Amino acid sequence: MLDMSFQGKEFPGYNFEVDRSKIKELCLAIGDDNPLFFDKEFAIKEGYKDTPASLTFPTVLNFWGYPEIWKRMTEMGINIKRLLHAKEDYEYFAPIYPGDIITGTVAVESMRDSAAMEMVTFKSVYKRGDETVLIAKMTIVVPGGN
Amino acid sequence: MIEWDKIEENYELPSLTKEPVTQLQLIKYAGASGDFNQIHTIPEFAKEAGLDGTIAHGMLSMGILGQMISSFAGIKPIRKYSVTFKSMAKPGDILTAKGIVKKKYEKDGAKLIDCKVHIEDQNGDVKVDGKVTIAF
Repeated sequence: MLDMSFQGKEFPGYNFEVDRSKIKELCLAIGDDNPLFFDKEFAIKEGYKDTPASLTFPTVLNFWGYPEIWKRMTEMGINIKRLLHAKEDYEYFAPIYPGDIITGTVAVESMRDSAAMEMVTFKSVYKRGDETVLIAKMTIVVPGGN
Repeated sequence: MIEWDKIEENYELPSLTKEPVTQLQLIKYAGASGDFNQIHTIPEFAKEAGLDGTIAHGMLSMGILGQMISSFAGIKPIRKYSVTFKSMAKPGDILTAKGIVKKKYEKDGAKLIDCKVHIEDQNGDVKVDGKVTIAF
């Protein structure tokens, strides 16, 4: 059963330094061999400052930047053994590059608890200094609810 | 990237068919992403959770769809990318990423397209569907 008092709650922010090898590692796991993510000279020719992070790199920021999310979910009453990923939503404002220090802040945007399912949406805002570079939303469900 | 003038509604993005998903790939993806939920990596754990065996990270499918999108447009032009996870992909599945332009428009001085994108398996079952907004 979800603890609805978490609705709207914002968790403490964290910093994550973007490592070039982490950008490559995610692409290697996906099997994405686009030189844009591997070859700095190629990326510069294409008009980038360096090899940018790929489109789903926010997942690295989420889990490596804030591994405590699993503990937070448990505290919220989410059965993490039964959770399913329902939706993922990104809005991009600027590319993320190796060496960037990204500050992430996770908040509980919405919670729903019914007999059919529990559903929670987390919203993460990622900043580089004062500049918002990315907003990510992750929705998880636990079928069968409580 | 293709020129704006050459794009019209119902234009199909170049599709991408991947090698079959392997258990090793899921192990690599766990380490890369930091999502160590064992339903993706340890068969016994997946069975305890009521599954037939390990399942792929949904984010791996979103990543493959992202590969198709960034192969087409790069990174800078992508404004929004969102997906809904429809069904589970498993080791052995052959995933194909596809996309189609649904809307071509100008807004606040930007030339934009909205595309519907999805991942399907070798049987045509949709694993992930989503939407991407690309600026020119």
